[in-house]
Amino acid sequence: MTALLILFLKLVSYFSKILGLGNGSTWPGHIALSLNPNIISDILRRSDCKIIVVTGTNGKTTTSRMISHILMHERFSILKNDSGANLLNGIASTILLSTNMVGKLSNTHAVFEVDENALPHVLKQCKPDVLVVLNLFRDQLDRYGEVRAVAKKWQEAIKSLPKETTLLLNADDPEVSYLSSFSHHQAIKTFGLDYNSHIGDEDITADSTSCPKCGTKLSYTSRVYSHIGVWKCTHCKLGHKNPTITQIDSYPLSGTYNKYNTHAAVLTSIVLGVPKNEAVSSLTDLTPAFGRQEKIEYKGKTIQLFLSKNPAGFNQSLETIMESNPHSLLFVLNDRIPDGTDVSWIWDTDIERFNLSKTDIYASGDRAFDMGLRLKYAEINMIIEPDLKIAIEKAVRKLPKDQVLYIIPTYSAMLEVRKIITGKKIL
Amino acid sequence: MTKGLHTIRIGWLYPRLMSTYGDRGNILVLKLRTKLRGISLTVVPLDEDAPPSLFKSVDAFFGGGAQDLEQGIVMADLKGKKQHIMLEKIDSSTPALFVCGAPQLMGKWYEPGVGKRINGIGIFDMTTKHPGESSSRLIGNVVAEISNHSLLNSSDSDTDKKFLVGFENHGGRTTLGKSAEPLARVLYGNGNNGNDKTEGVVFKNAIGTYLHGPLLPKNPFIADWLIKKTLEIKYNSEFILQPLEDTVEHTAQRAVAKRLGIAL
Repeated sequence: MTALLILFLKLVSYFSKILGLGNGSTWPGHIALSLNPNIISDILRRSDCKIIVVTGTNGKTTTSRMISHILMHERFSILKNDSGANLLNGIASTILLSTNMVGKLSNTHAVFEVDENALPHVLKQCKPDVLVVLNLFRDQLDRYGEVRAVAKKWQEAIKSLPKETTLLLNADDPEVSYLSSFSHHQAIKTFGLDYNSHIGDEDITADSTSCPKCGTKLSYTSRVYSHIGVWKCTHCKLGHKNPTITQIDSYPLSGTYNKYNTHAAVLTSIVLGVPKNEAVSSLTDLTPAFGRQEKIEYKGKTIQLFLSKNPAGFNQSLETIMESNPHSLLFVLNDRIPDGTDVSWIWDTDIERFNLSKTDIYASGDRAFDMGLRLKYAEINMIIEPDLKIAIEKAVRKLPKDQVLYIIPTYSAMLEVRKIITGKKIL
Repeated sequence: MTKGLHTIRIGWLYPRLMSTYGDRGNILVLKLRTKLRGISLTVVPLDEDAPPSLFKSVDAFFGGGAQDLEQGIVMADLKGKKQHIMLEKIDSSTPALFVCGAPQLMGKWYEPGVGKRINGIGIFDMTTKHPGESSSRLIGNVVAEISNHSLLNSSDSDTDKKFLVGFENHGGRTTLGKSAEPLARVLYGNGNNGNDKTEGVVFKNAIGTYLHGPLLPKNPFIADWLIKKTLEIKYNSEFILQPLEDTVEHTAQRAVAKRLGIAL
């Protein structure tokens, strides 16, 4: 029965691709789950495949990419989902389309990035060997509701994991670190940062400054960014514990946020038996995932994309870009479903902290004027051009050859930018 | 208008606990619009550790949205002296702006989806009921036409109509009492309860609205109304604010309405 279903679904995927009915990466899963809600666990139970699940608000795609990259260097065969297929449907599709005719996965490892809100559903079907939780920031409140509601769901989901799962948590994120209180006998490893080099200011965008246990305001001895740092509750004494890993010799991508992603990936590999130095050195030839610090040549000039869809990500992108003294910077703000239909979040970004007076600034997207207003009230001069194609042309024309046009787009805006400058549709 | 440097102090209610959806945008707008007019603005954070005397010292209030847990902490802290000071000040015409969940707290009571009825501080004659966890939240863009006379007649602008554009995201449904006046009439979206087309509430110089987060950037006339009223009450004299260049603000407002099929 399963074999027939799989054959049928592979055909569905094939035809939906050639008929242009979609990307074929979530459809088959949708159909399969309606026919057999346990299809994922049925296949996984039969297969001898280590499962790694990566979740969190920011950094899922990059971290999953790093983990797969390291494991491929070790000559393992890896199954991986697309970042656009990170809900239950997408995971089911990814698994189904890779099974052989006896309904088994032949891969040694599967690395799944999972949407933070979909995590409880996915964990019901799929019991990972390693669960990596990166961070929890405010993101798309119109769809997901309050941050704490997401944290509650995670806590419940973790209670149901088998004791063989290794939990890999960000020690510096209070809500994520607190998840360890809900585990039972699982091995817990944590990642953090070398705090000596990071003593940040009080960050206004911090969203979980209340103690995850008792709600009291947290105090920090070191603040890296947003609510990430060395934290402690002065009331119930819940607090930061020394992480398993805080630094490595070299990092493949720039930005503090990518240090966390890299630590998470290296630690995952260590848990899976890869020696630390091998993991670190295999990352030297890592290329960025699309839209995540990805560089693209366009009309003889260089454009670099920094996907940003919430205040924490936006601030981290801007901080990283500012290190290169940018000549030109284009913000593209859309308000479609994958971006979140509420653009209020741009007012929680920390634009005021950066000196943009020497940079040419452009604002575009469905909400070009909202973005323009945000910049105006940060007293930054900019050019507002709602037509994205024209905005890119304008910016590129003015850009000197040896300079880079940095673009900070929301999710759907990133896809649009890529389509314009590569001429191809990616998803 | 009196001569010399004018200073105003705006009390920001619980910025740590009530900053959910970009509420800070309103403060940024007030800061720049006072700065450009040579008015000195001090923003006074009124967090849990603020003494009642600090509440007493401000010339206006601003309050943003709170998540459920924070809402409880805020209500517990407001009880007693701070509540009395706020009620007294607002009753004697101190201007105030409450966005998002704040108006729920400022009404008579709020009945959550689960759990007991919570008493509000009672500035506005209105009550709020959450119809239960299974009913949907009211989420999305809102366009409304200002119906309150004080706001309509406030400016200095050449148009006789004023519009409010923003985003709502609330579970509670609010019903205004007899003595409460709505702020605006809904043209798109849900407003107070999704039924009677009212949006927001006005009592003396206090405004409450479900439009959350950055209300003032796209609706700068409300910022100016708040600044003007604050100056007038404080200095007990009439003020005319110098008009500012608001092309981006107006274009942003019209652009959102246009995408929703409404020509402003």
